[in-house]
Amino acid sequence: MRGQNNIRSFFISLLSLLILGLSVQDIQAQEVKKNKLRLNAQYVKISNGQSYFDIKASARVEKKNVAVSGIEINVYNTSEEGQIELGKTATNHNGKGKFILKDFNALKSDTAGVFNVLISFKGNEMFSRAKRNISFKNVNLSAEMVVKDSINYIEARLTDMDENPIAELPLKIEVQRLIRNYLLGDEFNMTDDNGTIFVPIEEQLPGVDGKLIFEVVLDENDDFGTVKTLVESDIGIPIVDESTFDKRTMWSTRDKTPIFLLIFPNILIIGTLGLILYLIINLFRISKAKS
Amino acid sequence: MKNYDTLLKDLAPRKFNKKGVIWTSFLVIVIIIGAIAYIDQVRQGQIVTNMRDYALWGIYISNFVFFVATSFVGAVIVSFLRLTKNEWRTPLVRIAEIITLASITMAGITIMLDMARPDRLLNLFIHARLQSPITWDVIIIPTFLIISLLLLYFPLLPDLAILKDYFKKTKPGLSKIYGKLSLNWTGTEKQKALQTKSIKIIAILLIPVGLILQTVDAWLFSTTYRIGWDSTNMGGYFISGAIVAGVGALITVVYVIRKVYKLENYITEFHFDKLGKLLALACLIYLYFNMNEYLIPSYTPSKGEAIHLNTLFTGSYAGLFWLVTVVGLIIPAIAMFFKKGRKPYPMFIFGLIVVIGSWWKRFIIITPTLLHPFLPIEGVPESWRHYFPSLHEWLITIATLAMALLIITLLVRYLPVIPIQRTAEEKNLSKNDLKEANL
Repeated sequence: MRGQNNIRSFFISLLSLLILGLSVQDIQAQEVKKNKLRLNAQYVKISNGQSYFDIKASARVEKKNVAVSGIEINVYNTSEEGQIELGKTATNHNGKGKFILKDFNALKSDTAGVFNVLISFKGNEMFSRAKRNISFKNVNLSAEMVVKDSINYIEARLTDMDENPIAELPLKIEVQRLIRNYLLGDEFNMTDDNGTIFVPIEEQLPGVDGKLIFEVVLDENDDFGTVKTLVESDIGIPIVDESTFDKRTMWSTRDKTPIFLLIFPNILIIGTLGLILYLIINLFRISKAKS
Repeated sequence: MKNYDTLLKDLAPRKFNKKGVIWTSFLVIVIIIGAIAYIDQVRQGQIVTNMRDYALWGIYISNFVFFVATSFVGAVIVSFLRLTKNEWRTPLVRIAEIITLASITMAGITIMLDMARPDRLLNLFIHARLQSPITWDVIIIPTFLIISLLLLYFPLLPDLAILKDYFKKTKPGLSKIYGKLSLNWTGTEKQKALQTKSIKIIAILLIPVGLILQTVDAWLFSTTYRIGWDSTNMGGYFISGAIVAGVGALITVVYVIRKVYKLENYITEFHFDKLGKLLALACLIYLYFNMNEYLIPSYTPSKGEAIHLNTLFTGSYAGLFWLVTVVGLIIPAIAMFFKKGRKPYPMFIFGLIVVIGSWWKRFIIITPTLLHPFLPIEGVPESWRHYFPSLHEWLITIATLAMALLIITLLVRYLPVIPIQRTAEEKNLSKNDLKEANL
């Protein structure tokens, strides 16, 4: 009897240990440390176009920097009147998200004309919550193409909202290309006292139908963010389209199959299928010719 | 000389003996296991295979190419030998036709097994581009399948009529099926004329269609800009390889059927001697194309090609490459030069070696090339740079081979493996015998 009690006690202890073990494991699972999320954000303004925030989420997981995809990011405008939610965006597989400001005029600034925006992530099971404050002032960047002594120039002017020139800031001028932009002139062209730069345009730049799009960029400025303005012109050397896209080629879609490939294989196919049909008819004829 | 009754008794289909039942059951079990593996593959996706970004074609495709190659035996034995009036072909043609039908059927099925989304099969037809070799393959395989079926069926008509009478009393049900399939064959002049004409058309048709099939199969590779495939040699290389695989398969199957059905009086050492010479010729032609394929490029290889050839000659695939080339091709060719080598049993062994060699040869053609792209694929695990088939792939592939053997087994069970009518004619049986048999 005593032996039986010992065995029972042993199994109860074993079961308790097992349950305890599972519980501890469960508690440990709940206490798994969340990864710290990092948010980066950049304000981008395109003159006479969109204004948006480029957002990037990353984290250090197992000693590696990884992009965090599929998380929801909230964007708020903070001002003396309080915090107003502007909207939400989500990161893509590269951990990047873009939040477009639908109405810039709805943004509230402080008394110094500075806009404060809070980019925030609420946190989830894997990543801790994170936020990033960005501040910027609105600025005007205008540009046009001018011709002087038969040479084409880009003339750009940087002013504040009261049309006061902003001097000593670097602007760069690029031409839009298929893969990445091509830099014109120096990398940094400092604005003069009038807030202007004057950069000659290289000759013989090729463009589709002679069209060129120049970008004048104030890049990642601490006070103003990134500001771009676009200038379109048709001074480029027209590119002769050598694409075979519309032609009948071996690599085109099936509606543009080369004629020879429609004719000869189809002759072979129809000829062979015709003979097969004839042979099948012969089977019927054999069946009928029993006497 | 045997009389007609003995001939009929010898050549009419017979019930499986115990070994036959065991053999068929074994094949069915292997097929069921393969089917389960395939269902799992469809359910889980091709993650269950070891095919990844590098080896995106694995043994399914090499197995497919093997089946396509083996199906060429019909064109070789039936068409070439018929058109060159080689009368010794008679006891071998039916077996060649059966192998052809089984192989091309399995080629069609195997290519579908390689599809991760078999439910999209119809898209191959709906969205077909004539520029794509895949489309050519989609067209030629069903065409060749129909021709193979007709190739088997037309010469069978008189034999089916004979079997209808033969089984009338003993197996009336079977006799009725043979009767239906014989299409009222009574051996009238008109029927004979139609049959002879049709067989002639098929024999002629089979050669270009067979050549197109093998060439399209080769072009699947040579139109792809990959090291080891981008070659103008591929068409002839594949055709000659197909003759080797087909004749090897024929020798093996002929030997087994001859032994099981005790057909030594019909398939004699003379036939093996002839097949041996044919195999030697096929191996030598194939060796010639192998030299063109491997030896000549090794004189002036590009960097990528040098890596590829080194992998085959001295690298990780060297063992398999030399085994396939020397044991699977050169030694059988040499053995066939000697009369002793062309005796039935050695022929069976060499035939089997040639068939196994032919299967692995397709693996050698496909896998090493895929593992050597012009540009390395970035961000993939190291294991993806190597390929050896997974258990699922092996089970499914072995099941397809078993299915081909099952088709052959069942056709051999229910059809006369040696044409009865033609053999009777060749053995000059009495007119009365032939008349009685509606020949």
